[in-house]
Amino acid sequence: MFLFTRPDYDPVTKYLSAWSKVLIDEVRAKAIEVIDLVGAKANKKEFEGRLKKKRPSLIVLNGHGNDDCVTGQDEEPLVQTGDNAHVLSGSVAYAVSCNSATRLGKEVGAHVDTAYIGYEKKFSFIHTRGFFKRPEEDPAPRPFMEFSNQVVRGLIKGHTAEESVRRAMDVGEGHLRKLESSLSDPNVQMAAAFLWRDISCLIVHGEGDKKVI
Amino acid sequence: MSTERKNPKMNDEEVRKLVVARLSVLSSDMYIAIGSEGSFSRDELIQRVEANDDIGKEVADIQLEWLRSWKRRLA
Repeated sequence: MFLFTRPDYDPVTKYLSAWSKVLIDEVRAKAIEVIDLVGAKANKKEFEGRLKKKRPSLIVLNGHGNDDCVTGQDEEPLVQTGDNAHVLSGSVAYAVSCNSATRLGKEVGAHVDTAYIGYEKKFSFIHTRGFFKRPEEDPAPRPFMEFSNQVVRGLIKGHTAEESVRRAMDVGEGHLRKLESSLSDPNVQMAAAFLWRDISCLIVHGEGDKKVI
Repeated sequence: MSTERKNPKMNDEEVRKLVVARLSVLSSDMYIAIGSEGSFSRDELIQRVEANDDIGKEVADIQLEWLRSWKRRLA
């Protein structure tokens, strides 16, 4: 069983939520049960309750964050250093969130049989005005989505956390090479710079050999 | 004739000018989502870089790192 948190209250979270919806459809097609905490359901009470009751093997956290926490709807902290980092123990957690692979990731990864995948710096992406209500149709951030989603796709295929991160980096590098072939376009130059930054700050803490299926 | 060589390293003002030049040629409908800070249009980012605030510094940092890495990749 997998759990996704998908707050969707601003442009950034709407995009991340749409990207995870693609993954949820793929996971359900494989007959894997998914707990989908979308919108207002992405709150701490619901999050902790479902984790305690269902013990999902993979937890995908989308949302704003910092060195110490990842948030849900309306920036409510869902998991935080010195508070409830233990709720992720025994799982593989992947946080599409800023900076959380610094302190929070280390604290989570210190638990036995636990892996935390996340970003050490700000997770950034390019998008286009006019797609806020239908982010899944915006072509501009697709290389970022494919890179980020590959972490989960690797885990679904049965790869370890470490292998899944490596494969996501390979997918990201592939998109980077495609972008580099069109560097005369200033928009593409900018996209390449931000994608390169995202790729370079994706890391895993804890049990790199852990799998989710 | 002077034998003095210019320092090849750019100062902060030169870096900001370079980044503003790169931003100014972006499409006006292109936005950049920078983590928890939100989404910024081309013109908003130019203002941030010129003001040298945290977002402006972050964008300049990413641009410089990318240009350095690109140079390494081509080498």
